[in-house]
Amino acid sequence: MLRPLRIIFRIAEKDLRIEFRNRQAFLTVLFFAFLILVIFKFAFDPGEETVGGAISGILWVALLFPGVIQLNRSFQQEMEEGTLFGLLLAPVDRSWIFLGKFAANSVFLLAVDGLILLAFLALYNITARIELLWLAPLVALAGIAFCAVGTLFAAMVSTIRTRDVLLPILLFPILVPVILAAVNATREILEPVEAGFFANWVQLLAACCVIFTAGAFVAFEYVVGE
Amino acid sequence: MPDDRLSPILRLERVSRKFGPIYALRGLSLTVCKGEFIALFGPNGAGKTTLLKTIARILPPTAGKLEFCKEPMGRSVGYVSHRSLLYADLTGLENLLFYGRLYDLPDPSTAARHMLRKLDLEKAQDQIVRTYSSGMRQRLALARALLHDPELLLLDEPYSGLDRHGSRVLLELLRDLKKEGKTVLLITHNLTEGLEVCSRVLILRDGELALNRPREEISAADFERTYFQSVDG
Amino acid sequence: MTGRNELGSQLARAGTCLRRAGWLLVPLYALIAAALYGAFLYAPTERVMGEVQRIFYFHVGMAWSAFLAFFVVFVAGTAYLITKDVFWDQLAAASVEVGVVFTTIVLTTGPIWARPVWNTWFPWGDPRVMTTLVLWLIFIAYLILRSSLPDAEKKYRFCAVFGIIGFLDVPIVWMSVRWWRTIHPVLITPSGFEMEAAMFYALMVAVAACSILLTVLILLRTSMRLNSKLLQEIRQRSLEERREKG
Repeated sequence: MLRPLRIIFRIAEKDLRIEFRNRQAFLTVLFFAFLILVIFKFAFDPGEETVGGAISGILWVALLFPGVIQLNRSFQQEMEEGTLFGLLLAPVDRSWIFLGKFAANSVFLLAVDGLILLAFLALYNITARIELLWLAPLVALAGIAFCAVGTLFAAMVSTIRTRDVLLPILLFPILVPVILAAVNATREILEPVEAGFFANWVQLLAACCVIFTAGAFVAFEYVVGE
Repeated sequence: MPDDRLSPILRLERVSRKFGPIYALRGLSLTVCKGEFIALFGPNGAGKTTLLKTIARILPPTAGKLEFCKEPMGRSVGYVSHRSLLYADLTGLENLLFYGRLYDLPDPSTAARHMLRKLDLEKAQDQIVRTYSSGMRQRLALARALLHDPELLLLDEPYSGLDRHGSRVLLELLRDLKKEGKTVLLITHNLTEGLEVCSRVLILRDGELALNRPREEISAADFERTYFQSVDG
Repeated sequence: MTGRNELGSQLARAGTCLRRAGWLLVPLYALIAAALYGAFLYAPTERVMGEVQRIFYFHVGMAWSAFLAFFVVFVAGTAYLITKDVFWDQLAAASVEVGVVFTTIVLTTGPIWARPVWNTWFPWGDPRVMTTLVLWLIFIAYLILRSSLPDAEKKYRFCAVFGIIGFLDVPIVWMSVRWWRTIHPVLITPSGFEMEAAMFYALMVAVAACSILLTVLILLRTSMRLNSKLLQEIRQRSLEERREKG
């Protein structure tokens, strides 16, 4: 009964151990995300308080786009020395491989995003309020949905030479609902409105999270191996 | 136990594999018996690796049947490929421990250390694989494949990248496996070393078996001629 | 080895597609003539929007057909994953190609109509418009993915998976955009005019004409694709035979 869980944990642990040993990738992704925040900051007047819709969009660009790099890397590593083949040879279900990679990617992305969130609050002069804590579940839900579909597609493009361009092209159109919900919910946190739809957006995000994870889980069977 | 040795463990019946419109294997039939040590020769692009991957059940055949006589055989296949199948950023020991756990070994730690000792890698066990020489890497790849004590061992050019010392270790290892009654399918370009250990010789050409004979029926001197004859058509 | 029979059945299927397309040509021409007559002569001029509204008949017809095409992609993709029969993959690929062309027409005729009437090229926030746009993006991505993979069984499988996910994404996109809209009220409603009976009939004929056009094009493309695959196969086979002889 517990064997799948154990194997999934081992696969994720192995990935995270490699990431931890080789912190360079983590720092690169983090720096890229930070750069996005800084560059977009130039679009606003230096003295002006920047609050509203635009910056929630910027925040989500910084939170999700750099994640694409990591998704591609996570399968690139498995291709380099043929270790994905090694995983497939072992008496391990393909869906466990998916869940292991997905878990590791999620932990990686959420670690980056946690730091980026703090950087965002500081760079964009957001006054500390208790409502800001709501950003955490938003980032978690959107990040998990992103990693689920992303892990599936990264496995799909892992043998293609142009995978670095291809992955975002495949990923973001599918993720339109997630981005729409995340950006609008964030906007309501940063700029509270009376009769908001915050709860609806969170529900939509949660629904997307479940649907995309389940879908990617089922589909992964078909995208690994020859 | 000669009877046991003759019992087939694996049967391929008219197995074909296509990649797009191109055939890699064309209606290949083969029976592998327990304890056999088969050397598989053939020019590049003859379908040798495809055959091994099909047997390892990584590639499903396009047509034909692949049958293991004793289930669950899938678990007890060991595979050494062109690539090392190792994580370059983990240490030798960590690699073996990881795979040991995937194979659900009762005591992965002991098994891993045992293999490291057997392949003379004990000293390097806590080094990251990226720092290994290609010979050490190749030996660790072998350790990985043998870790779960497989019944059937598939070796895809295990000699490539090995220095003299490594080749000798490998040769001894292969002899041990033969003694233990393991079944081995070995792809190699190295005619002499391949012939030295095997009990049956296969030559694959354009996805078909051009030769399938017991080792005794072929003399080493003749073999080279036979090989080039069958390869050139 | 796959025998001559398989080649024969592939050839037969390519032929069937072509023949079916041929049968549909007469109704297609009749419907197109009727649709043109309906849209430009039979239907009355809309009182507020004027002549430009007449593009609406083809806009809606194309939009409906494009959606139908992507539904075919979904069905054919599922059928491929179950049967592993190349025919379904080729049908899906043909449907995506035709569907993307139709969607492009929808996204071009839309602004032509929207600009003079609502003073905007692109009514963001309308679920129909947004869903069409996202569908267009998804299936262009499909075509890019398709062209990036080497021609083998793996490609068909990946494309089937992506096509299915792309289609299943549509209702979620639709829902999310509808919420978005209710929150940020948009002043314009694309279908905010009363349709007279004559307009409705003209629309129905236009929808039928576009659907038949779609079917014919998909059948032709599928047949063409099957034939080109077949040609490749035959070339390969002749190489095989030469190899066996000499």
